Amino acid sequence: MATLTDELASAIAELEDEKVLDLVQTRLDSGTSPLEIVGNLQQGMTEVGMRFEAGTYFLSELVMCGEIMKDAMNILEPHLAGEDQKHRGSIVIGTVKGDVHDLGKNIVVMLLKGAGYNVIDLGIDVRGEKFIDAIRANEAPLVGMSVLLTACQEGMKGIIEEIRAAGLDTRVVIGGNYVDESVRDYVKADYFAHNASDAVKIADEIFVH
Amino acid sequence: MSMGKEELFQERLNRYTTALKGGKPDKVPIRLQLSEFMAAYAGIKLQDIYYDLDNNIAAVDKILTDFDMDVCGGAPSLWWAGLHDAVGAKYLKFAGRELEENRQFQYVEEDYMKADDYDAFIADPTKWILEAYLPRIHEEFAEPGSYRANLALIKGTAAMMMANGASQQAGAHWAKDFGMPLSIAGISKAPFDTLGDTLRGLKGIMMDLRKRPDKVLAATEMLVGHNIFYGMATAGGDTTLPCFMPLHRGSFPFLNPTQWDTFYWPSLKAVIEGMWKLGKQTMFYAEGNWTPYLEKIAELPDHSIVFHADQTDMAKAKEVLGGRFCLSGNVPNTLLAYGKPAEVKEYVKRLLHDNAVDGAFIIDSAGVMQTDVKAENVFALIEAAREFGTY
Repeated sequence: MATLTDELASAIAELEDEKVLDLVQTRLDSGTSPLEIVGNLQQGMTEVGMRFEAGTYFLSELVMCGEIMKDAMNILEPHLAGEDQKHRGSIVIGTVKGDVHDLGKNIVVMLLKGAGYNVIDLGIDVRGEKFIDAIRANEAPLVGMSVLLTACQEGMKGIIEEIRAAGLDTRVVIGGNYVDESVRDYVKADYFAHNASDAVKIADEIFVH
Repeated sequence: MSMGKEELFQERLNRYTTALKGGKPDKVPIRLQLSEFMAAYAGIKLQDIYYDLDNNIAAVDKILTDFDMDVCGGAPSLWWAGLHDAVGAKYLKFAGRELEENRQFQYVEEDYMKADDYDAFIADPTKWILEAYLPRIHEEFAEPGSYRANLALIKGTAAMMMANGASQQAGAHWAKDFGMPLSIAGISKAPFDTLGDTLRGLKGIMMDLRKRPDKVLAATEMLVGHNIFYGMATAGGDTTLPCFMPLHRGSFPFLNPTQWDTFYWPSLKAVIEGMWKLGKQTMFYAEGNWTPYLEKIAELPDHSIVFHADQTDMAKAKEVLGGRFCLSGNVPNTLLAYGKPAEVKEYVKRLLHDNAVDGAFIIDSAGVMQTDVKAENVFALIEAAREFGTY
């Protein structure tokens, strides 16, 4: 496990919610750039993701981290307007048409944001058209699709076909409890992620090239 | 009941209960959680299954005519959508109303119970449910005591009686006309799931574990007695068949080991042991992966549960629980949807070879099946189970 020298990054990693919010406010008040504060929060979240992968953190810790981040970003967002936020690339993500389950997707979104990506979260019950528009608008090299209900996997296949028919060669990663190689092959996705940290690894692979 | 069907009923029930008790019947019993697949196979749209009790039952009739099973889990729809419409339920969406005509129903998870509701809930759960919770989650109960709310209580109760009556009649019809026993009697939940699924939602419960652990513990302890009663009451006192217990938030990796040991397991164990004292077995329907918890589960009294494996490591389950508990599972749903019949047969052959040799095994799909499953693969599962599962 990495040693986090920054107090804020470390407070996120240790899930000390009140300390995180205090530090964000204190730093803003003392004139630290909001982007630098976001950077520290991301460092802490990356550590949380690593602890999850190492098996020392569980979903309960990821959910808690997500809630702390949401509160921290609520403080920061008014100060971020107009700032040029650097990111590692854009990823479009959503739960596919017919399905409203988003607990897993939200955790993936959090970890991807923590890893420094610009994540365009389309929410739940998302149609192909909406995926295509968002991929085009953001020139996203990667799209993530979440599905829990196995009966909605057929719809996921259709969405991927629509994306291909629109002439987009965006990589597609899929995830969900009942998703494995056979589903990936059936729906013609490029990757499947077994858990949230897999999704980050796949993104890292794609955006390195 | 004609003699042929009655004998068939007894033969199947005996096959099933022998395995449940850890014995070796003449054949490995086949229990399939076919759910919405039944509607697809019968060619009935999902909106017609959810809204029309007769269609819900007719779909099962079609399945029982064509598929050779030993027990049946009931009708494809768990809910009668008309009942939920009568009370304006906000937490369920149905095909034909909020969803397209052939879509699976959806549960809308929210923190319907708020963090500051704990004290009132723990002090008097029934009062809190009636006065605070029901009005919050049903449009028709929004103003308790109003003409509209009182009418909704009457409509809801009447609809519940109609739905329950139809299920009971259907059970008798499947027994009489198909010689088919049911696989379960009654339903209950782990106290942590009652709180974490239905009341507080995932985010709420995960925050509570850190912010108000004492309240979580007090609430789960309070729910033990309720959940034992609920299991027995929904079974009408039956102790021949197991109580269905779908398990959610205890699956790996939701909780860290300390949280699991502290908040999930003690109250679940108490519910299972409490029902077992009344002679009632639990169908431990372990959705997801429970491999890290097998040693803890092994603390339960012999045969107090049937352990159903979804994505739990089957070999490990057999090693830790085998001999003391009946096991069931675990043909993967993705194999049933995307595999070929030959692959399904091969999987079933190996599964039975590894797990069923000494009895105490029931074959089933890993999870509840939906409309994506291919009929030819269900036939292949059954064919292989009969070919390789006859002792």
